[in-house]
Amino acid sequence: MSEQFDGRDGVSSPERHGRDVPGRAETPALVAKQISKSFDRTRALDGVDLTINRGEVVALVGQNGSGKSTLVKILSGYHEPEPGGELSIDGVDLPLPVPPGMAGEIGLSFVYQDLGLNGGMTVLENLNLSSRVRHGLGAWSPIWWRRERKEAARVLGLYEVSLALDARVRDLAPVHQARLAIVRSAHDLRRFQQTSGGHSSIMVLDEPTVFLPEEDVRFLFDLIRTLVNLGGSVLFVSHDLAAVREIADRTVVLRDGRKVAEVLRGDFDEDDLVDLIVGSATPRRASSRTEGTEEPEDARTVGGAASRPVAGVAERAGVAERAAPAVAAAPGPPRSERAIRIEGLTGGRLRDLSFALAPGEIVGLAGLIGSGAEDVPYLLFGSEAATAGTLEIGGEVLSIPHLSPSQAVRAHLALIPADRKQFGLGLELTVWENMVMLVQDDSFRRGVFRRDELVEIAKKGVVDFGIKPPRVDVRASALSGGNQQKLLLAKWLLAGPRLLIAHEPTQGVDVGARQDIYRIVRRAADAAAMAVVWVTTDFAELEEVCHRVVIVSRGRESGELQGEEMTEDSISAAVLRQLEEVG
Amino acid sequence: MATPLVREAGAAPGAPEHGEQELGEKASRSRARISHGLDRFALIIAFIAIVVAFSASVPSTFDTVANLSNILGSQAVLFILTIAVLLPTIMGDFVDLSLGASLGLSAMTIAVLNVNHSVPIVYACLAGVGAAIVVGLVNTLFVVYYDNNPFIITLGTMTIVEGVTFIISTNATVGVVSTGLSNWVYTNTFLSIPLEFYYALAIFVAVWYVLSFTPVGQKALVIGQARDVARLSGFHVNRQRAWAFVIGAAIAGFAGIAYAGTYGSVAPTAGSAYILPAYAAVFLGATAIRPGRMNALGSLIAVYFLATGTAGLELLGAQAYIQQIFYGAALVVAVAFPTVTRKRIFKRRKTPILPRPTAAGS
Repeated sequence: MSEQFDGRDGVSSPERHGRDVPGRAETPALVAKQISKSFDRTRALDGVDLTINRGEVVALVGQNGSGKSTLVKILSGYHEPEPGGELSIDGVDLPLPVPPGMAGEIGLSFVYQDLGLNGGMTVLENLNLSSRVRHGLGAWSPIWWRRERKEAARVLGLYEVSLALDARVRDLAPVHQARLAIVRSAHDLRRFQQTSGGHSSIMVLDEPTVFLPEEDVRFLFDLIRTLVNLGGSVLFVSHDLAAVREIADRTVVLRDGRKVAEVLRGDFDEDDLVDLIVGSATPRRASSRTEGTEEPEDARTVGGAASRPVAGVAERAGVAERAAPAVAAAPGPPRSERAIRIEGLTGGRLRDLSFALAPGEIVGLAGLIGSGAEDVPYLLFGSEAATAGTLEIGGEVLSIPHLSPSQAVRAHLALIPADRKQFGLGLELTVWENMVMLVQDDSFRRGVFRRDELVEIAKKGVVDFGIKPPRVDVRASALSGGNQQKLLLAKWLLAGPRLLIAHEPTQGVDVGARQDIYRIVRRAADAAAMAVVWVTTDFAELEEVCHRVVIVSRGRESGELQGEEMTEDSISAAVLRQLEEVG
Repeated sequence: MATPLVREAGAAPGAPEHGEQELGEKASRSRARISHGLDRFALIIAFIAIVVAFSASVPSTFDTVANLSNILGSQAVLFILTIAVLLPTIMGDFVDLSLGASLGLSAMTIAVLNVNHSVPIVYACLAGVGAAIVVGLVNTLFVVYYDNNPFIITLGTMTIVEGVTFIISTNATVGVVSTGLSNWVYTNTFLSIPLEFYYALAIFVAVWYVLSFTPVGQKALVIGQARDVARLSGFHVNRQRAWAFVIGAAIAGFAGIAYAGTYGSVAPTAGSAYILPAYAAVFLGATAIRPGRMNALGSLIAVYFLATGTAGLELLGAQAYIQQIFYGAALVVAVAFPTVTRKRIFKRRKTPILPRPTAAGS
C-alpha cells in the first residue's frame, strides 16, 4: 500500500485539506480521556483528559516529572497507558496503546528536541528520507532527483520556509534545522493522510525552542501559524512560558500527573501560570508531600528575593534554628569564605555567568535545558572552549579560555560528566584501573610500578564507596549504572579535589545508589572542605543535597536561593519566572 | 557549538528495565569469566600444538638448533617492526601504515649512503633512523596535531615514502652494505642465534617495561581504550600519541638497520612486505595474555607463533608463499574464534534477555 503514496502525492493539492472540510469542523482533532500511567510506585499520570481542536495550538506545561513527557510518549505509542483510558482522533476511537509506527498514519506526528535530522545529509535528502525508508519494496525504484527537487521546493514554499536544498543540514543554524524538521514532519503527515483519508493532523512539538536563541524563536512561530492555517493542530510542549503565552490558544497545566488547569490565551499572567505549574500557591501541593507545609506566598516572593544578591545573615541564622526537615537545609559556610570564584564565564550558551563558593559548600546550578547551566561543567573544566571568564581557586586565578583538562586536574578540579559511558569511565578497563587513574603516578617509585599497591587502594575504595560487587578485577561495564557512578566518584575523590563539578550525577541511577551518591559527596565536602558545583534539572535533588542554589537563565545568574526558601517548587518557580523576566 | 554531553529532558523513571539489566549483567559477567581463560591461552595452546605437531612429523629437521636459530634470527626484522606497530596501535590510532615504508626508507638510506657515497656505516645507520623519525613527525603533525584519520594520512605518507625510496635508490637494488654491519647484525651469533635477535629482544624488553610497568603504559592503555575519558582525566593524550608515532617510527628505522644487515642489499620495495605481517602479529597478540588489549607480550608470542608455523610448513615441503596464507588464516581464526564459540555456547541464555516489544496486534 505504501508504494502508492508517491503517485498520489504528486497530483493532489495539500492546500485543500484541513479545516474547511464540511461537517467535520465540530469534531475535535484529538480527544484523550482518563489517561493514567504508573511507574513502580510513582503515579506519572492520573486520569488526564486532553482535547485538541482543529486549528488550535495547545500548550502543555509543567515541571520536570509532571507527566508531560509521559503523556507525549503515550500518544506516540512508546508507553502503554493503564486500562480505562480512551483516545480518539477525528472522532474515531483508537486502540491503546497506540500500535508502534501507527501514529503517523492516524495523523499524529512528533518533533522532539533533538529533531532527528541527519546532519551529514542535505536539506533535500532529509526531506525525502522518510519516503525512502517507508517505501519497502519501492526502495529499489530509482530516485528521480529532478522531480524530488521540484517537489521539495514546492513543499518548502507551501510552509513559507526558504532553505537551500543542497545545504548540508549540519551547517544550518539551529532554528533552520528546527524548521526543516517541522516541515518534514508536517509533510510526511500529509502524505499519510492522503492515503488513509483522515483529515486531522496533529503535530506534537516537544521542547522545540530550548536550544534556539530567543531572537530566532519567532521564526518557529511563523511556521506554527502557517501549519495551523493549513488546517493542522499543534500540541506545544515547553518550559518557555514566554513562547507559550505568545503561540498557544489554550494552555494545559500538568502537575504531579494531574491536569490542574486549562487557561485560554490572554486569560492569565505569568505569575498565575508559574503558580499553577509549581502549585505552591495552593495547598494542594503541600498535601501531596508528607513534609511540612509552606507559606502560600513563599513562591510568589521567590522571584523578588532571588534577584536580591545577598540573602540576609539573620535569615540564614533563623533557618538553622528551625532545623528544617530537608537534609541539606543547614546553611553553608558564610559568604565571606567564598574563596572559589567564577567570574564572567562566557561560552556555549553562557553569557557572563558569575558565582562563588566556599570550601565545603555544595552549590546547585538550576536552569532549564538551554539556559546554559548544562554548559558550565565542561567550560569550567576546559573540556569545551570558553571565550571569557576566570576561575579563582586556591589563591590562583586561572583564565578559563586557556584552561585544558590537564590543567584543571592540576588545579584540583574534578568533573563528573553526564555522559558517564563516553567521558567518565573506560568501560573495558577494570574497576581498579578506572579507580586509580588519577593517583597511579604516586605508586611509581625508583622505576618500579607498584601495581599491587594500586589494587589495594582500589580494594579499599570499593568498600569505602559501597561499590557492588566489591571486586576490583571486573570490567567497569559489568557494574550497574549506580555502581559505575560510585566508581566514577571514587576515581575523582581519591585525587582529593578542591572543587567537584557534577553534571546530572544521579542520571540513570536507582534510588538506593542515589542516596549513596548524596552521602558520598556530602561526606567528602565536609571532611575535605571540597566545594561542589551540582548541575541538574532535577530540582528535588538540588533541594535535598545543596546548601545553596544559583539560578541560571539565558546564560546568566539570575538569582540565588538558600535555606528555607530553597525548595523544589521555589527553584522551579524561580527558574520559570526568571526566564520570563529576561525574555 | 552544540554540546554532545547534554542529556534529554524529562527522562522517565526507567525502573521497569532494571531487573532485566541486572540479569543481563550477571550473565555477561560469568560469560566474561569463562571465555577469559579460554581466550587468554588459546594462542599459547595453539603454539604448543604446532610445535608438537611439527616435532612429530619432521623431527630430523624441526628439532634442531639450526632451525631454532633460523626461526628466531630470520624473523628479527619482523619482530622489531611489530614492536614499532604496537605503539600507535595501543594508543588507539589503529593503523600507522607508513611504518613498513619507513623501514624501507631507513634501509635504503643506509645502503645508498654507505654504498654509493661511502659514508661510514655508523653514520649511515643514524641517518636511516633519522629519516624514519622524520616520517613519524610528519604523521604526528597531520594525525595528532591537525586531528585527521590515521588510516588515511598514513596511507598517504606510506605511498609518498615508498616513492621517495624509489627516487633515492634510482629504482635499483643497492648493495652490498659494509660487512661490519652484517657481522654485527646477522653473521655473529650468541648461543648460535644471530645478534639481531638480541637487539630485537632488547627493544622489546624496553617497550614491554614502559607499557606494562610504568604509569605511562597504564595511561597509554586508558588512551587506547577510552580516549575521551583519558582527556577528561587530565592525561596529555596528544603528547603521548605523538610520542607513540615518533618512537614507533624510530623503531621502524632500527628494523631498517636490521634489514640492511641481514640481507646486505636493499630493494626499493623492501618495507612493504613487512607491514601487514606485523599488523597480523599485533592483532593476533591482542587475543592472548590480555584478550581484547594490544599487548607487548602477546605480540612477541604471535610473531614467533607465525614464524614457527611457516618454518614448519616449509620443512614439510610447502612453498614459501604458504607463509601468507598461514598468516592470514591464523589472524582470522584467532580473532573470530572467541566470538564464534561464545555465540554458540551462550545462545540459549541470551535470548530471554533481549527486550520484547510490547505490541498489540495490528
